[in-house]
Amino acid sequence: MESPSPPPVAPASVERSEGVWHAAWRRFRGDRVGLGALAIVAAFLVLITLSGAGLVARHWQNEVGVPDAPPSFLGPKAPEAAAVIEVPKGPNVDLSAIDPLAPRYKEWEERAAKLKTEELPRADTLPMGGDRLGRDVLSKAVKGTEVSVFVGVLAAVLATTIGTLLGALAGYFGGRVGDFLEWLYNVFTSIPEILLIFAFAAVFGRGIGTVVVILALVGWTGLYRQVRAEFMKHSVREYVRAAEAIGASVWSRMFRHILPNVSHVILVRMSLLVVSFIKFEVILSYLGMGVGVDDVSWGTMLAEAQSELILGHWWQLAAATLFMAVFVTAFSLLADALRDALDPKLRGLE
Amino acid sequence: MLLSIQDLKVAFRMGKAGGVMQRTEAVKGVSFDIPENTTVALVGESGSGKSVTAMSVLNLLPDNAERSGRILYKGGDLLQAPLGELQSLRGREIACVFQDPMSSLNPVFTVGNQLCEPLRRHLGLSRRVALEKAESLLAEVGMPEPRRRLSAYPHELSGGQQQRVMIAMALACEPRLLIADEPTTALDVTIQRQILELLAKLKEQHRMSMLFISHDLGVVGEIAEQVVVMRHGVVREQGPVVRIFSAPQDPYTQALLACRPSLTDNPARLRVIDDHIAGQAAAQESKPKDAQAPVVLEVRALAKSFWLRSGLFGKREFKAVQGVDFQLRRGHTLGVVGESGSGKTTMGLTLLRLHEPTGGEVVFDGQNLLALSDKQRQAMRRRIQIVFQNPYASLNPRFTIGQALVEPMTIHRIGASLAEREQRARSLLEKVGLDGRAFGKYPHEFSGGQRQRIAIARCLTLEPEVLVLDEAVSALDVSVQAQVLNLLKDLQDEFGLAYVFISHDLAVVRFMADEVLVMKDGVVVERAAGTELMAAPKQDYTQRLLGAIPRGYRPAV
Amino acid sequence: MAAYLLRRLWQMVPTLLGVVLLVFFLFKFFGGDPAEIIGGLNATPEQIHAIREQLGLNRPWYVQLGIFLKSIVTFDWGRSWATNEAVSNLFATRLPATLTVMLPILLLDVLLALPIAMWVAYRRGSLVDRTLMVVTTIALSISFLVYIIVGQYLFGFRLGWFPVQGWSDSVWTNLITYVPLPVMLAVMVGLSPQTRLYRTFFLDELGHDYVRTARAKGLVEGKVLFKHVLRNAMIPILTNVGLALPGIFVGSFLIEQFFSIPGLGREVLLAVNRSDYPVIQAVTVYLAMLTMLINLAVDVLYKLVDPRVVLK
Repeated sequence: MESPSPPPVAPASVERSEGVWHAAWRRFRGDRVGLGALAIVAAFLVLITLSGAGLVARHWQNEVGVPDAPPSFLGPKAPEAAAVIEVPKGPNVDLSAIDPLAPRYKEWEERAAKLKTEELPRADTLPMGGDRLGRDVLSKAVKGTEVSVFVGVLAAVLATTIGTLLGALAGYFGGRVGDFLEWLYNVFTSIPEILLIFAFAAVFGRGIGTVVVILALVGWTGLYRQVRAEFMKHSVREYVRAAEAIGASVWSRMFRHILPNVSHVILVRMSLLVVSFIKFEVILSYLGMGVGVDDVSWGTMLAEAQSELILGHWWQLAAATLFMAVFVTAFSLLADALRDALDPKLRGLE
Repeated sequence: MLLSIQDLKVAFRMGKAGGVMQRTEAVKGVSFDIPENTTVALVGESGSGKSVTAMSVLNLLPDNAERSGRILYKGGDLLQAPLGELQSLRGREIACVFQDPMSSLNPVFTVGNQLCEPLRRHLGLSRRVALEKAESLLAEVGMPEPRRRLSAYPHELSGGQQQRVMIAMALACEPRLLIADEPTTALDVTIQRQILELLAKLKEQHRMSMLFISHDLGVVGEIAEQVVVMRHGVVREQGPVVRIFSAPQDPYTQALLACRPSLTDNPARLRVIDDHIAGQAAAQESKPKDAQAPVVLEVRALAKSFWLRSGLFGKREFKAVQGVDFQLRRGHTLGVVGESGSGKTTMGLTLLRLHEPTGGEVVFDGQNLLALSDKQRQAMRRRIQIVFQNPYASLNPRFTIGQALVEPMTIHRIGASLAEREQRARSLLEKVGLDGRAFGKYPHEFSGGQRQRIAIARCLTLEPEVLVLDEAVSALDVSVQAQVLNLLKDLQDEFGLAYVFISHDLAVVRFMADEVLVMKDGVVVERAAGTELMAAPKQDYTQRLLGAIPRGYRPAV
Repeated sequence: MAAYLLRRLWQMVPTLLGVVLLVFFLFKFFGGDPAEIIGGLNATPEQIHAIREQLGLNRPWYVQLGIFLKSIVTFDWGRSWATNEAVSNLFATRLPATLTVMLPILLLDVLLALPIAMWVAYRRGSLVDRTLMVVTTIALSISFLVYIIVGQYLFGFRLGWFPVQGWSDSVWTNLITYVPLPVMLAVMVGLSPQTRLYRTFFLDELGHDYVRTARAKGLVEGKVLFKHVLRNAMIPILTNVGLALPGIFVGSFLIEQFFSIPGLGREVLLAVNRSDYPVIQAVTVYLAMLTMLINLAVDVLYKLVDPRVVLK
């Protein structure tokens, strides 16, 4: 057969048609709800970055307000009508004769005058109120957002990586490898999720990093199942056979050929994981098994809010719920819009 | 006049883009009549709008369809009829049989249950009476053991039997009109023949009209009395079957008739729609091939078995291919014919070691392909390539055409640089009849025929010597099929390629192949030169296969 | 069928073994020293050493594994480190409370979500459908905790319609007095995801060819939906319920915690907080076993629902 070897011609400008992601972006742009959700999520991400960099809400632990300070729009608490003990009239009795510390008072006073103590006046009201210790609820909410969302996203990414890798191996190879991974999957899924999380929590303890690892170790199974099913479906498709026929290697077939065809499914699934992990984290933190003692998350705020509610102080509950509801709703809507944009067929025939 | 369709237009809402509703027009003004007691065939290729037209009669279209025009039945306009009225017509006076019986039957209900539904709904029969009637219906459509089948589930029946059940369901209330949407397309040739005969018989007995939709002119010629030819949503021609077949007026109809590969002639190239419309002369006879060309591929006793689990721990052997031998010479084509389950596809895949064979030898240039090490096999991959059946699945949807074509060259290190490879890819695209701009496009932008050409181009990048074509044209429309077949022949002449052409369509195989193997249940049943086989088949099975092929309209002798 | 059951039971063994190994090694290598936990903060080194001897912690790991396996098979887990109650007794006393709450929740979730989902699937794309989707999205974004906190406060504390907490010994009293509030809250929360899920199932089925055939036979829409589609949708719904069943045993530990219901979930929570390893280990292993058996039962039940299923 002749082998054409023409003189090197400057290649004609390759007009590339839009690929999947461009087409999806175009579809996404037309979805107003999706764009709105994207804007909200982006705003939250900016907030989180600022908080993480320490530019906002850094001093959430400082007790800047009076305990249980109400939100600004409500106005300060009415002064407590505490039972007043009558201040006795008459001069103070001079005890310096019997007071053992009397000689030292003067010295201490001089020393104290040299030191500076900052006594910030405690505010009577805070923008979104104060908690039991007088900490600013708004700062806590922002910091809590950072922690909860960070944990959710990182855990989701980790779980996705594990699930995708294992699912690809199981789906493509089958046989012994598949059997072993199926066994692993069965072991992890025969224990109810919550229980497994508790078991890990009992053993690993608290802390942000620990929560991420626990959630990832428990949550990879759903993605594994889906990726495995997709790889099994695609590995017998003709384009993969064709790739084998032209001599592509196994890794090439799996990750250059099949994976791009599955990535949109993985992305959608991962966004669902983020939501579910955030909710898990909140519950764990509420129970005292999540983030560490020095951290704040939506869960710890809710834990405090419960006892506050009985006393009528609803603002911490409202703040945590508001931030969480807005973010999770926006994120869910974003995930839906993403799924619709990537593959209208994945939609439920709307 | 039983049914009269007047200026029917159907458009589908595709969603909004920039605030404006996007619509695709599937049917653009179609008019024809269906007289009483007549079979009217609606013919067209994919995308012609024939199915949509038929489904609009009873409004079985999806929710986003918009119809306009008039469909007159018994004095009333069906397009204006309220849903309740339509529902009492459906299944009773106008009934339907669909293309894929497996998915058209509800998998969780028994055959008897589904058969009784129209009987009880329209005729008000009690359960017991309905079951009896159902049994007699099954007997009428030729179902063996009808009583037992009443309690069977659809997946327990074969494709042909399922279609008989669909037909029985449609006939249950003695309709005046039967709409059959490609009822035999999904079936094997021999079963197709049985179903066609059944439909013709039932139409006579029940004195009903039939609207028969198909893409296969052969079938249409045999069964229809009136023919309506559609293309791109409009009617190109309509009339009695005699006239359409012997003296077609419209160039498209003429082309459609002419580009079918025939079972008797030996043209060098098939006529293509565009050729025909451009008025080119008929092709000459094909030249005989060089019988002394070197043998490029020799196969001896090839076998492939699959193991299935049976019982608690046992395994059962399923012999997909047993003992196949042949010799393939340079520039020649070996045709492999069989119905589904004959093992022909498995054999093709085994040649390339896409299935690992369980026995036999495939000798290529003195080396046994099946005994090669992995490294040697990689080198051998260049020399024998395959084109698959499904054009929609054989190209990676995420790769541009350019990437798909350059990849094999990169793997086998053909060409010195990326630029050179891209140049080669472009020239190959042109060789298969696509222009260079296809380089940056994605597969979904191309039609089935174009994708097959791209698949062929991809094989050619490796400069193979043997090409296995596994039902490569079976999923294509007749006119497109002709183009691709012509292309294959041209490429064979130019590059001296040897083909293993696998297909279930005898006419196509006759056009392409020099020698033909007939396979059944994994064994070669007959082997002969192409022309000989069609003219004088020796084996029973081959004769049956040939006899089952619809010949189109043949005037009564 | 017998061959199928036998094979499935046989296949469970490696999985169960895996669970046992997981639990064993998890607690052994990552958990704290049991002796220190039992001994408490003020234990002397001699006491700790004595406890270690007693628990056999100084023996090689495979011996300990053997003891562990034995305790599983004989259903003898020893005693809870915190309360000294026999662990097996724990199951017997706590399980009924959990079930009294969880079974009504599961039942109500399915029974309510089904008609709602069918109705919106029937009227898909309509205002009702879209409103429902929006409402469920927002409802799902609020943590379960908030529902309970607010619900308890509102209905129990403020309005006084239900007792805020409590439990009694009689099943009937429980069902009438103490169960309604937690069940109501849990169903409110669980309804959203269930409805969405079932809606998807119904919409999927509506796209199949057999629906067109049913319509072509002249059946009214109601019949198409309630007979044909529902029957097919039962298959994924049954799968879903089957998957949810094992989860009810740990119960909604949150509900049990908030409402002081002495169920298994709350027990597990307490055990985690107190590092009470025997309880956690026992519950994990037994629930795993239970899950596998339930899965097997669901698979067999499948045959009744889907005639295409071949149990091999």
